[in-house]
Amino acid sequence: MSDEKIKVIPCSGIGKVFGLITREVALRVANELCPEDAETLCLSYVVTGDDEVKQKIEGHNCITIDGCATKCAAKNVAYAGGIIKDQYSATEAYKNHRGEYGGTATILTDAGWQMVDELSEKIADKIKNERGDKNNG
Amino acid sequence: MAETKNKIGVLSCTGEDCLGGTISRLATRKLMEKVRPGETVTLCLPLFLAGGEEERTFAQVHPTIALEGCDKCCAKKATEKYSAPVCDVLIVSDIIGKDVAESKALSTRYLTEEHNDMVDKVVDELVKKIDKIDSDRK
Amino acid sequence: MEMSKFYTVLPCNGLDKCAGCVARELAIKLATETNSEIICPVLYRVADSRYNEIAAKNPLLVIDGCATRCASKLAAEKGLKIAKKITVTEEAKRKNVKLGTSLRLNEDENLFVNALIKDLLTEEKKIRTEDTTTGFPETFEYELYHKDKFIFRVPKEGFYYTENDTWAYVIGNKARIGVTDFVQKSLSDILFFSPATIGAEVEQFDDLGNIESGKAVFEIISPVTGKVTAINETLLESPELININPYEKGWLAELVLTNFEEDKELLLDFDHYYPIMQRKVDEFDV
Repeated sequence: MSDEKIKVIPCSGIGKVFGLITREVALRVANELCPEDAETLCLSYVVTGDDEVKQKIEGHNCITIDGCATKCAAKNVAYAGGIIKDQYSATEAYKNHRGEYGGTATILTDAGWQMVDELSEKIADKIKNERGDKNNG
Repeated sequence: MAETKNKIGVLSCTGEDCLGGTISRLATRKLMEKVRPGETVTLCLPLFLAGGEEERTFAQVHPTIALEGCDKCCAKKATEKYSAPVCDVLIVSDIIGKDVAESKALSTRYLTEEHNDMVDKVVDELVKKIDKIDSDRK
Repeated sequence: MEMSKFYTVLPCNGLDKCAGCVARELAIKLATETNSEIICPVLYRVADSRYNEIAAKNPLLVIDGCATRCASKLAAEKGLKIAKKITVTEEAKRKNVKLGTSLRLNEDENLFVNALIKDLLTEEKKIRTEDTTTGFPETFEYELYHKDKFIFRVPKEGFYYTENDTWAYVIGNKARIGVTDFVQKSLSDILFFSPATIGAEVEQFDDLGNIESGKAVFEIISPVTGKVTAINETLLESPELININPYEKGWLAELVLTNFEEDKELLLDFDHYYPIMQRKVDEFDV
């Protein structure tokens, strides 16, 4: 991993709670847990933008966080030429909280925020470990 | 087909790197859930871009408003590229100010009353657009 | 056409009307063209030892001439499980064939017999259709119902539905079962699949496991009576396949049928299920 920040791209789907979870995870990772090593990127802007804009993602390392099996973030990043280093899924995070209600696409419950925090920390640990390995290696 | 012919689509920007995207998303959800339930259909922009047949087909057939966080107008561009021209566009930065809209993205964990006021202002403008579309149709 | 034995045939053999003669002729042609075995209903009534073994060996096809259903009654008396039933007068009505009064079949009646054979052979071909598992088709044609931006798919041919929104696709004496598009869209993303046990004997409308999303748990109601022979193990790791297509890669279980002719009477075909689903969709806030 170079010194440039890794792009953390959520699906941000507006229809389901999973989309909100991915968005909150990306914001927490990029703004709070790994602000030196990660950043979010407006995927819609990159996909619909001109070539100059596409360079923000093309050939760059990305982590995608998808809400469901449709995998919109992974698909769009791949389409835009990003290199997907890791993929995560909000539904997998939800499975660890079977029977709990995470909230809606507008607002999360405490259980929903717990899912966000757990997944955020998992991703942040991964980023820091890889950055640490790179610095030591 | 079910009674869908009077529904209006709203395709919201989801801009993850600015406040405008968060406000845009929250305004769309509030419109659909509280202000005009049953009258609007939210379309998912990432799914739209990734090839979502349901989203793209709806926007081809029904009037659709693009709700943009900023003046890059990604939702409008996506609709016109993959579906059909939008019926109208509303830009959040025109309502809450460009500097505010382009400030850092906001987690819903830290929403304040001020943010909720911004959402309400955007919703009010959306409702005007919807009412105009409805009256033009009659 | 070279075929293995695929039916044991019990015709009514009635001699009081043309329909009985059609039943007899159909049984004879099946026996010669498909290597099926015939049970003589008269002999069976008085000496069943000869035929009990044959009856158990292959799926049983009962051919009744008319609504008196003498062959079906005989099968019931002997405790046989019927895999398929044909009633000649009903088939004649369906195919718009007018049966005469003579006990010798005319040209039209012989053509009718050939058409019935063709239907049975087409179904046999479905059983033998190659697919990676058990001969079930991998793709279907759908009728689409639109509500807002959502599209609900309902297969038109070959499916039987329950009012609980489960379906069965039957080939011979086997069925594959699953849930409809209405169910998977109502549940949203399915996270867990708790399947039925292989070997379990289920009655029609018994529970066959469940599927679970973040919103709800859905008990799967079996549309048919039978024994579970397979479950879709892919769903244990990837339950989202049910959301992607609940009729194709998202099927739930397979059963060997034990009472389908009776089960069928309480199931809905496409024409009857589709309006029910439409009403549910219109009332539901997807």
